[in-house]
Amino acid sequence: MDITSLPILSLITFVPLAGAILIAFIPRSNPGLVRATALGASLLSFGLSLLLLVGFLPSHPNFQFVERIDWIPVFGIQYKLGVDGLSLVLVVLTTTLTWISILASFGPIKERVKEYMIAFLILEVGMIGVFVALDLFLFYIFFEVVLVPMYLIIGIWGGANRIYATIKFVLYTLVGSLLMLVGILATAFAFQAAHGGSWAGAFDYEMLRQFSFDGTLQVFAFLAFFLAFAIKIPMFPFHTWLPDAHVEAPTAGSVILAGVLLKLGGYGFIRFAVPLFPDAAHTFAPAIILLSLIAIIYGAIVALVQPDLKKLVAYSSVSHMGFVTLGIFVFQEQGLQGAILQMVNHGLITGALFLLVGVIYERTHDRTIAKMGGLSSQTPVYAAAFGFFLFASAGLPGLSGFAGEFLVFTGSFAYSPAVAAVATFVMIFAAGYLLWMFQRMFFGEMSEFFKGHLSHLVDLRPVEALTLVPLGVLVVVFGLFPGLILTLIQGTVTDVLHGAAQASAINLAFWQ
Amino acid sequence: MSWADFSTASPLVAAILVACAILLGDLVRPGSRPVALVASLAGLAVVAAVTLWAGQTTADAFGGTYRQDALTTFLDLLFVAIVALTILFAPDYLESRDLPLAEFAAVLVFAMAGAMLIAAASDLLVLFLGLELMVLPGYMLAGFAKRDALSTEGAIKYFLLGSFSSAILLFGLVLTWGLSGSTRVDDIARHLADIASGGAPLSAGLAMGLAFMTTGVAFKIAAVPFHYWTPDAYQGSPTPVTGYLSVLPKVGAFALIIRLFIGALDPLKADWLPVIEILAVLTMTLGNLVALTQSNVKRMLAYSSIAHTGYILMGLAAYAAGRIEGLEGILFYSVAYTFMNLGAFAVIAALQRRPGVTSHLDTFAGLGRREPLLGALMTLFLLSLTGIPPFAGLFAKAYVILGAVQAGGTMTIIAVIAVINAAMAAFYYLRVVVYMYMREPATEGPAPRHGSLVWVGLWTASVLTILIGLFPGPLLDAVNHAARALP
Repeated sequence: MDITSLPILSLITFVPLAGAILIAFIPRSNPGLVRATALGASLLSFGLSLLLLVGFLPSHPNFQFVERIDWIPVFGIQYKLGVDGLSLVLVVLTTTLTWISILASFGPIKERVKEYMIAFLILEVGMIGVFVALDLFLFYIFFEVVLVPMYLIIGIWGGANRIYATIKFVLYTLVGSLLMLVGILATAFAFQAAHGGSWAGAFDYEMLRQFSFDGTLQVFAFLAFFLAFAIKIPMFPFHTWLPDAHVEAPTAGSVILAGVLLKLGGYGFIRFAVPLFPDAAHTFAPAIILLSLIAIIYGAIVALVQPDLKKLVAYSSVSHMGFVTLGIFVFQEQGLQGAILQMVNHGLITGALFLLVGVIYERTHDRTIAKMGGLSSQTPVYAAAFGFFLFASAGLPGLSGFAGEFLVFTGSFAYSPAVAAVATFVMIFAAGYLLWMFQRMFFGEMSEFFKGHLSHLVDLRPVEALTLVPLGVLVVVFGLFPGLILTLIQGTVTDVLHGAAQASAINLAFWQ
Repeated sequence: MSWADFSTASPLVAAILVACAILLGDLVRPGSRPVALVASLAGLAVVAAVTLWAGQTTADAFGGTYRQDALTTFLDLLFVAIVALTILFAPDYLESRDLPLAEFAAVLVFAMAGAMLIAAASDLLVLFLGLELMVLPGYMLAGFAKRDALSTEGAIKYFLLGSFSSAILLFGLVLTWGLSGSTRVDDIARHLADIASGGAPLSAGLAMGLAFMTTGVAFKIAAVPFHYWTPDAYQGSPTPVTGYLSVLPKVGAFALIIRLFIGALDPLKADWLPVIEILAVLTMTLGNLVALTQSNVKRMLAYSSIAHTGYILMGLAAYAAGRIEGLEGILFYSVAYTFMNLGAFAVIAALQRRPGVTSHLDTFAGLGRREPLLGALMTLFLLSLTGIPPFAGLFAKAYVILGAVQAGGTMTIIAVIAVINAAMAAFYYLRVVVYMYMREPATEGPAPRHGSLVWVGLWTASVLTILIGLFPGPLLDAVNHAARALP
């Protein structure tokens, strides 16, 4: 069958929505069927996204599987979807992590299963939509759609302080995204004004890319987009919502938060902020690189002293995402390749780490590292799995975390050896906080706390293992063959850097 | 006066006849709710049909004091929708409190006739007549629960400040009439255009007239700092009335602004633009700030409606700064706001089915579990009010922001202030969601049964909120058409 004849991107995006609607009609008394339907819908979407991988032509320079319908013709707003290598990789990451998260929720979520699964599937719609939308207004809608289900997932099924955390999450994100809306409208209007008042194409990503906006607009629109994505990814100093949200979110919520939601920020930088406003991106690059370095160092140092296991992983995310923004804004080929690899790998590895944290939390209802110790003798498989993903996160060569960070180092070295030196130095911290955590959890005498919970401390269950194995396999495969991803994204990287290479910094004194 | 005049004004005539029919029906069958309901809903359907029929033509009537154009039709249909929804939402609430339905419906339809008169007015006197006909029934409705002290207090405040502001507005109208020599909107516009093009400074009298008129309408739309009557009037009124008060008199007052400021005072827009800009910023910011601190949902929505007025004023400012999109934004926003705000108030009214239930946040605790459907609909309306896609509220906000961004300069800054406000508003809207889904219910009791009319109304409002959000195309065309009806 020729998959290009199907609206395959719409199918991938909206199959989860169909699942959610189906679940709404399943009686509350049958949680088993609810769970099965949710898993089925997410697996179907996953399967369809694998078809994309088969049909995608990496050598083809343009967007593929494009679907285009006029949606609001008065303003030239279209329902336009399409993927390039970058979108493709992130779509598959999303569909993979979603079914794993849904599977991982089977045990822990016992209350209001129906609402939970509906929220999760709608969340998936928003996430996939963000990565495939090629119309700025449509992109904005999907970007916001993500917000509500995550708000509910943290707020209803989260920990003790969940309401504070979820409102903080929403408010931070909303400030950024609403300012981006102003940016989107201003950009579209500038395009319209330059085309004799015709709205045709004013929200079309491909049309906007070919247009060079004047300096003032670039500066302000870039800042608006930047703020939205910097909060989402999150960059220092906009990161403070992240540790709260992670700590309070249920396990699967954390997996998706770290695995996909943070990538919306990185994706936004690469897809929109840099290509649409290259001059402004150049202008602000030094400042953003500085913030990235601060995030890398700050995240690592703060992770070192965290008493809570989940908070530690959350702060390590801030540090890892610092590599992503660093890689993007050095405007070097290896840097951008590394940033994208890092996004994928962080999704896989940190997703797995949150699943592992969830395993211990489900057994003991505590995540305080100080109470732990000597777990390796009791749960050897769990310890091995934890160790594996931990080394991957620390950037051990041969596992996937290494390739991304290495490429970012190479790219930033070409930009400035000093920047590269600082970033590399932080690797020591990363190894430090991760290994220290591992040692405190698994080695030595078994702690009093664990002795008290001995009967609950069973090793990984089959379902838990089933959620981790696919991630582990991918971590090894991408560790050994990062080229698999690099081939797919090469077109995007070349394209983005080609635009950025012609850019020049704007003189910020223009308003004087 | 001829037959053609009445044919042009047939929507208005129909509305008045329907109001009389409802009263007659109540005379024949005193206190019969079915008769009142059938008379009013069928009557409104007739008014809508007549409006559509009359809307096929553009005409002036009654010696040029009455103008029937696409804008009139657009606004009339919106008014009919508001009143129809209010009548759907009210019976449950009124019945459990022994309040009469026929009088309620008749008074509403009279108010609607007033609003329709405003929408068609092209003469200062007719404008004022329409305004009074619209607001007077409002005072009665606010005090409709006459044995309730809060309701009476709210009604008196509303009445006093309403009369006061009408007097101020009237004073402004008189000054304008005296100094331009005509009460006709187009004559005044022509006269003012001479002044504007001659480069002559605004005379002191005219400036005063402008100031009085601005103050008067600012009272009517409850713009800060002329908003003090709103929270008490809204909180004290019976909940279905509050929903109505937060929408029809507001949209009606914006119709007045369109006919008066955009119709007659257009040449002076450079003079009133800065005032509107300041009013817009104050209104949206203060409304939101105070809404943040409310623990009573009705009062919170009262302040949030003030904030929404601020966003709509931003559209007016964008128009004054030369963008027709600003006017389109006002119209679009009014429609979206109507359905989401009426819907939210209808949910509160449904919760207050049993007398004595307050509109405090605690009433909402655990609603998502007690009454999942009602909780879901409330969430939908609140998300739309916040401006989260894919609901009507987002596109409404985007429209006025677009107008502001197009106007550029100061207006861009106001647009940024508006979106920061919108993010701030998320806090208090979502707090209701927190109570509904993340708190346990205070008392476990059987959920009250809601009448089928309430459900019809709620489904209509929610489906329209979704449809306008997902497929705004047809409404955009209508708005476009209506906005271009102005000369």
